[in-house]
Parts: sequence; structure tokens; C-alpha cells
Amino acid sequence: MHSVGKSWLLLTGFVVFYVIYLLFGALVFSSIERPVEEQLRRDMERLKEEFLNQSCVNAASLELFLNKVLAANKYGVSVLRNSSGRSNWDLASSMFFANTLVTTVGYGHPTPLSDAGKAFSIVYALMGVPFTMLVLTACVQRVMHPLVLAPVSLLQRSGLKPRPATIVHFLLLVIVVVLCFFVAPAAIFSGVEVSWTFLDGIYFCFISLCTIGLGDFVPAARPGQPYRVLYQIAVMVYLFLGLMMMYLLLRTFHKMADMHGLTTLLQLPRCEDSVLDDDTEPMVDNDPTPPRLKDKAASKPLDPGSQPSYNSINKG
Amino acid sequence: VAAPDLLDPKAAVHNSKPRLSFSAKPVVLNTPEDECDTRTTVMRWKTVSAIFFLVVLYLIIGATVFRALEQPHESSQKLAILAEKLEFLALHSCVNSTELEDLVKQVVSAVRAGVNPSGNLSNQTSLWDLSSSFFFAGTVITTIGFGNISPHTEGGRIFCILYALLGIPLFGFLLAGVGDQLGTIFGKAIAKVEKMIKWKVSQTKIRVISTLLFILFGCLIFVALPAVIFKHIEGWSTLESIYFVVITLTTIGFGDFVAGEKGHLTEGTMLVQGVGEFRAHAAEWTANVSAEFKETRRRLSVDIYDRFQRAASIKRKLSSELGINASMNQEMTPGKRTLSANLCEDKDAYPSLTNGSLYLNGLSPDYADRQEIAIIENLK
Repeated sequence: MHSVGKSWLLLTGFVVFYVIYLLFGALVFSSIERPVEEQLRRDMERLKEEFLNQSCVNAASLELFLNKVLAANKYGVSVLRNSSGRSNWDLASSMFFANTLVTTVGYGHPTPLSDAGKAFSIVYALMGVPFTMLVLTACVQRVMHPLVLAPVSLLQRSGLKPRPATIVHFLLLVIVVVLCFFVAPAAIFSGVEVSWTFLDGIYFCFISLCTIGLGDFVPAARPGQPYRVLYQIAVMVYLFLGLMMMYLLLRTFHKMADMHGLTTLLQLPRCEDSVLDDDTEPMVDNDPTPPRLKDKAASKPLDPGSQPSYNSINKG
Repeated sequence: VAAPDLLDPKAAVHNSKPRLSFSAKPVVLNTPEDECDTRTTVMRWKTVSAIFFLVVLYLIIGATVFRALEQPHESSQKLAILAEKLEFLALHSCVNSTELEDLVKQVVSAVRAGVNPSGNLSNQTSLWDLSSSFFFAGTVITTIGFGNISPHTEGGRIFCILYALLGIPLFGFLLAGVGDQLGTIFGKAIAKVEKMIKWKVSQTKIRVISTLLFILFGCLIFVALPAVIFKHIEGWSTLESIYFVVITLTTIGFGDFVAGEKGHLTEGTMLVQGVGEFRAHAAEWTANVSAEFKETRRRLSVDIYDRFQRAASIKRKLSSELGINASMNQEMTPGKRTLSANLCEDKDAYPSLTNGSLYLNGLSPDYADRQEIAIIENLK
């Protein structure tokens, strides 16, 4: 019973810490962004006054016109001259939209206009989101062996002890992922997209791969974009691979934390392998034979220090 | 032949508790187990690539449907706004097209920065006051990311990246913790429901039905109820409310509809917290179901193994009765096993086992010795 009470205490601790973290973020964002917003507001007022002064337009009709323009723009329809040819809903863009829907990134530019489109989005998302998660997890399971287990055993065989081997491997993996999935694509994006800087590129990559998807930067949204279809398909592939790598990182970190006893310390669930991976492979080798040749049925998850399983803690 | 934990009856009980994987994503896939390693790997690759192609197909289907639904709507909107523009220009002849375009461009970028140029600018509430920033921080951590507010300064963006790097795992921990606590509660509730049902339905069916019932119940609480509330508060239509709730709870978060834009931020923040609950529940249920599948497979394997053991012991008894190599220590070769099997009429010992090594159909005693050798060669 004592352990149950302890787990509730930890949970409340987490919730409290979470709320504090949110407050902290709110304060910092507020203090950074608010002055800039004020400045922009003043600029807009000045712009409107100038426009109204030098023309025969009265304020009311300008307001009306602006409102209509903004309403249209919200859905991706632009009134500007050079954007009349391109549609937001041709096949490639629709596929890009469907992709942002099922990966839960959800940029929001464009969004479905019609009621039928919204209803279909609901159904499509409800089925597609779990489906995509399943695919991603399945891919990660398969990729886990060559990218994680094999290198770790390689490191072990070259003399490192199990625990430092996992740490070294994890750091290497993080560096490789950051280079290939953040720095390189950011450089490419800042080259292809005219108005993006390198920092904008990294910001976009991060916001997309964490599936936050704020939508302030959306690739292939510029009117005169050359090779637009190819570009959109390339971005979709990048999103999928990037998401997979993020999940891989998360899973590797979780297994590592299991090994080092962090998860049991914080009374969090251990990294359970799914039904797919029934014969669980340990993260490090206990014997020098390569993992593939080992009898899979005999291998069990590594349990250093013979820590009690989470099951038994809960039953108490 | 048998994995160690099959012999342990406790293992089945242990695994009956729903377990939450850290990433809190559902994984329910049954791949058939194989003896041979390479065959398992190949089969799993096949399964994965099959699923992958299914996803691509799903995307293409979605793309065609979206295009069919949205493109006509978009064209009519375009025509409408162009007509407005021309009308405006005709009405106010002192404005030329380029000036207007400039103004529109500036207005659009201002709106994207969160400043609405229409109306009186001075008494608009800031988008970055404390409560709105709190809401924004919440949408970042839960990865919903509406996007109606987004940082525009370089410093803001860098901070956003760092903030999310720490905050998303933190939220993940919270989800895992909450989900696990819920799991114990739900597990007990399901067990109670199971006890109440006295029919002769298999355990598996009861579990699945009760889990489905809880999913339905949860959908009502987390989708229908908030949709009604938001429809009332924000004045959206029914479809728009349900659309908003689903898009938010799946953390897609388009941002075309945002609760709290007109100032009801408390509800908005509560909804953001509700995402955590929803995801914890969803993950819990899927973990439940996958644990259920796992246990069913184990039970079946245990079942088969039990019958195998029983069959083996019966065969041994029979072989001693028949006087075939009773005193010898060597194992019965498949040929001789089949011989005794075919000789005895006890077909009940092998109910559903069509395992090739046990039940070589058509093997008559005359050819036993020759075939025996062939079998041994084959097995090697």
C-alpha cells in the first residue's frame, strides 16, 4: 500500500511541476513577444491612416474589403495578382494535406472549407492517425536492430562496458539525427524557400518533427514555386522518415533509462516491447554471440540489479 | 521447443495487466511466430512493407477525396474575392491596383503575426498577455500547435525550440503516469464487469467487449460532451464543434477553429489539459487490447503445449504397452511415433495439431523404416 501512495504522490508532483513549467513558459513568451506585437500594431495603424489619407476610400468600405480579404486568406485563397493559377487542392497538395492530417502535424494552411470536407476530415483522421502510428512503430521496431542493437554490441565487443556503451551510442545517434534531419534539411529549406533564413529552417524542422505544426512556416506555399509537386512529395518523405527517427530516439532513450534504473526510480512504466516483438531482445549482449544466431526464445530483457518488475509494485 | 515462460502459469497472469509503452502509441499487431529466425525476419519485413503500402494507398485515396470535395469550393471563393477586389477598385478610382496589393500584403502578414488590422486597434487585447501565453505554452507541449498564435521574434523561436525539447518529454511522462494510474482503475473495473457476466462466453470475448464499451463511454465523455459545450460557448455549428474537438484531441490542431479566441481562455486551457486525459485513456485502452491479444496467444500456446505434453505422455504409455523400445533411452523417432500413433485409435490426443512431425498422414507400417530415414534426412 505504501508504494501505491508513493506513486500517487509522484503523480501529483509531476502535475504540479507541469503546471509550473507552463507558467514559466507563459512568462517568457509574453515578455519576448509582446513588445514586437505592440510595434507591429502601431505600424498597421499608421499604414491604414496613410492609405486613407491619400485616397478617396472611406474607412468603412476599407474595413469591409479588408475583412473579406482576410476571411478568404484564412482558407488559403489569396487576392494577390500572381497567385491566381495555383490551387491549394490539386492532387499533390491534397496528398500533402492528408499527410499532415494523419501524422497529426496539422499545419492548418490550408484547411477544409466545405462542411463535407470537415466531416470527411474527422472520419479520415480517426482512422488514419492510429494507423500511421502503427506503421511508424512497426518500422521503428525493424529499424531498431541495425541502428541500435547491432552498434551497441559492436561497441561492447570493442571493450566498453554495457552501460557506457549505451550512453556513447545514444549520444552518437542524437548527433547523427540532428545533423541529418535538422541541420541538412534546414540548409536545403533556406535555399529553396526564398523568405526563410537558416534559423527559420531549423525552427520549421523542429516544429514539424515534433508534430506540433504551428503552421507559420509551410513549405511549397509560395506562388511561383518551381517543381512544386516534387518538392511536396520530398517534404512528405522527409516528415515520415524524420518522425520515425524521433520515435527511434525516444525508444532508445527509454530502453537506456530502463537499463540505468531511471524508470523504476520514477515509478514509470518500463519500455515494454509490443506484441510485434514478442521475443524481446536485450539492448546489450550478455554473451559474445551475435544476436541473430542466439536462440530468441531464451533471451529476456536485461534486468541489472534484479529490480522488481512494475507489475509486482502495483499489486502491493 | 517451448519458450521458458510458457511453462510458467504465472506469466499469463502477470501479463494480463495492461501496460503502457512510453511513447503512448497504440501497437496492436499479431505476427505469426516462427521457429526459424530468418523466416521471421522476412515475414515481418513483408508485413511492414504491406502496411506501408496500405498507408500510401490510404493517403492517395484521401488526397483524391479532398480534392473532389474542396477544389470547387476553393474556386468559387477565389472568384468571389476577385470580384470584390475589382468592385472595390472600380468604386474608388483613386486607388490603383499596386497600392491595393501592397496594402493587402501588409495586412495579411500582420494578421499572421496576430495583429488584426480591422476595427479599432487600440483596444484589442494582446495575443501575448499571460493567459494567452499560458495557452500557447500548453499547445506547444501537447504538440497540438494551433498556430493562431506563434512566435515571430528570433528569440521567441529559439526559446520555443528549447521549451518544447524539455516540455514534450515532460508531458509524455505525465501521460504515462496518469495512464498507468488509470490502467489499474480500469483493470479493476473490467474485472468486476467480467465477474458479473455469468455466461459461458470466453474470457477473451468478455474482455474485448468490455474494453469496447469503455471506449464508447470515453468517446461520449471526451468528444460528445465537449462538442456540445463548445457549440454553446463559441456559437459554432454541430459539425464544426465535433470537428474542432476531434482535430484537437488527436493533437492535429489546425487552428482554423480555436476555442478561446474570443476570450474564453479558461475553457481553452481546460481543453488542452483534457488532451492529456484523452491520450492517456486512448493509450490505456489500446494497451489493454494489445495485452489482451498477447494473453490470448499465450493461453492458446499454453493450451497447445499442454495437449502436446498430454499426447506425448499417452504415446509413451502406449509405446511401453506395445513393447516398442520400452527400455531404450533414445527418443522415439518420428517414424516410430507415427507408427504407434497410427496403430492406436486414440485420435483425441491430437485434436487440432497438424504439426508435420507428429502426424505424418499416409504412413503405413510397412514403409516405416525407409520413410523413417527419409524423415530424419528431411529434418536435418
